[in-house]
Amino acid sequence: MFGMKKILPGFAPPLKFSYDAVLIGGGLHNLATAWFLAREQNMNSVAIIEKNYIGYGGAGRNTAIVRANQRTRENIPLYKEALDLWPVMTRELDFNLMFYNCGNVNLLHSEAAVKAARVNVATARLMGVESHLLDAAETQKRVPALNLSHQITHPVHGAMYHPPGGIVRHDAVVWGLARGAAENGVHIHQQTEALGIETENGKVTGVRTSAGTIATPRVLVSAGGYSAGLIYHMLGIKLPISVLTIQAMVTQPLKPLLNHVVSSGAYHVYANQTLKGEIATGAHMDPWPNYTTQTTAGYIKHQAEALIELLPCLAGVKFMRSWAGLADMTPDMAPIMDGNDPVEGLFMNCGWGYFGFKSCTAAGRHMARFVATDQCPDRLKPFTLRRFENHRLMGETAALVNYTPDN
Amino acid sequence: MSLLIQCPICGRRNGYEFRYGGEDKGPYPDGPSISPAQWYDYVHANTCRAGVVREWWCHRQGCGLWFTLFRDTGTNVQVSAPEGEQ
Ligand SMILES: Cc1cc2nc3c(=O)[nH]c(=O)nc-3n(C[C@H](O)[C@H](O)[C@H](O)COP(=O)(O)OP(=O)(O)OC[C@H]3O[C@@H](n4cnc5c(N)ncnc54)[C@H](O)[C@@H]3O)c2cc1C
Ligand SMILES: [Zn+2]
Repeated sequence: MFGMKKILPGFAPPLKFSYDAVLIGGGLHNLATAWFLAREQNMNSVAIIEKNYIGYGGAGRNTAIVRANQRTRENIPLYKEALDLWPVMTRELDFNLMFYNCGNVNLLHSEAAVKAARVNVATARLMGVESHLLDAAETQKRVPALNLSHQITHPVHGAMYHPPGGIVRHDAVVWGLARGAAENGVHIHQQTEALGIETENGKVTGVRTSAGTIATPRVLVSAGGYSAGLIYHMLGIKLPISVLTIQAMVTQPLKPLLNHVVSSGAYHVYANQTLKGEIATGAHMDPWPNYTTQTTAGYIKHQAEALIELLPCLAGVKFMRSWAGLADMTPDMAPIMDGNDPVEGLFMNCGWGYFGFKSCTAAGRHMARFVATDQCPDRLKPFTLRRFENHRLMGETAALVNYTPDN
Repeated sequence: MSLLIQCPICGRRNGYEFRYGGEDKGPYPDGPSISPAQWYDYVHANTCRAGVVREWWCHRQGCGLWFTLFRDTGTNVQVSAPEGEQ
């Protein structure tokens, strides 16, 4: 499914010798950045260099969950801005992104989890994001199919309920942004691999690609899970990233039974019902880095067991497809958005892990400001790479390196 | 993800018996004068290479040994040491 060449008609402009900015990677973040560069920053000589086809990476593999109930004051406003942008982008791009704001229900399986969720709910509300704590009975009202038995591995104590979140059709976002960017003069070069970044006296001068060298004073690397490996390979800069594979799958289509995105950290599972009726579900990450994007039989079994304990009516339902993609995890579960340090003209936007879909519109908009003006927008300042050497890690996760699937 | 790992004591075993311990970054940076940058490099920074990487692993559900090995992160297969390394 992912191996096929899919060049969209009308997306094969000639490669120019020079551009004002070159964006490496044809995923959501660069497509959004390019769109905002053209629309809000009046930068019209912009190229996206994509090794395969747009949407090949996480952009076309994610489970499409969007929400804004993050944990810290630095992160919540960014995700809120992104969430608020879906209806706006639908209009601006004139493309049906199928935003379905069904709300997210984060199951809590212990008293400790309920206490931790209280802090999350309070922080979200303080920042103007709707979030509620539900007890077990209220949770079941929201999710009637839920198993409230105490005989299961992790009985449900309650939930964190975030009404404004939901799901968005990820392919539509890729297509809508690409069409919009191309119509505004952005050159999208598919089947073109970035091979190196050229510098002189600490400044970016160009990008070497499989189709030739491009002169440019600005390069933005936002290549999803490939970003950290590329930045090390091209410039010798090491990032605090581990690249893990994350798996997902969908069942056969069913009658409506889930009204919300439901997730559980303890079971390592999240599930939502697509508009077509399939249960889209995922969360498993293999605990060692690799770039294979392979799926595993063991995980399908785990997923079936967890889903049947939580939603017993799913027993016997068939999985139709499973797939995997890359997640570039940082130690604090927050992204790296930085520029002009240590190389002038080099920008990076990566480390999104499995949060890079929900955030792409707002991140792209701010990165466009940064790239066009060389001024780091205030909202991005906390996401600097230097926070790691300055011991200013963000509190998006309570425990480092132990990744949880509360998408 | 299927992965077989050769433990120096127990031999070839299922990868899920092991704990991945990160890229091998050489000896612990010691002394009172280590800079924040050196600390960052040792604790957080990775090459994230798609290819052969030297890594730390622990046979957690076996003999408990910590050891280094070479693995190709592009294929997820343990490989022998590249020439010039051991
Ligand atoms: C299974 C799964 C489920 C997920 N679920 C969610 C979710 O529910 N909600 C959420 O918010 N996020 C989710 N994510 C995360 C999200 O998909 C990613 O964080 C996001 O897509 C990454 O950003 P991107 O789209 O800009 O990059 P990607 O789409 O990953 O794009 C990277 C691109 O760079 C290209 N590239 C690589 N090397 C080169 C090179 N040398 N030259 C040129 N191009 C190159 C690749 O071909 C690829 O197209 C999920 C991810 C996965 C894998
Ligand atoms: Zn052993």
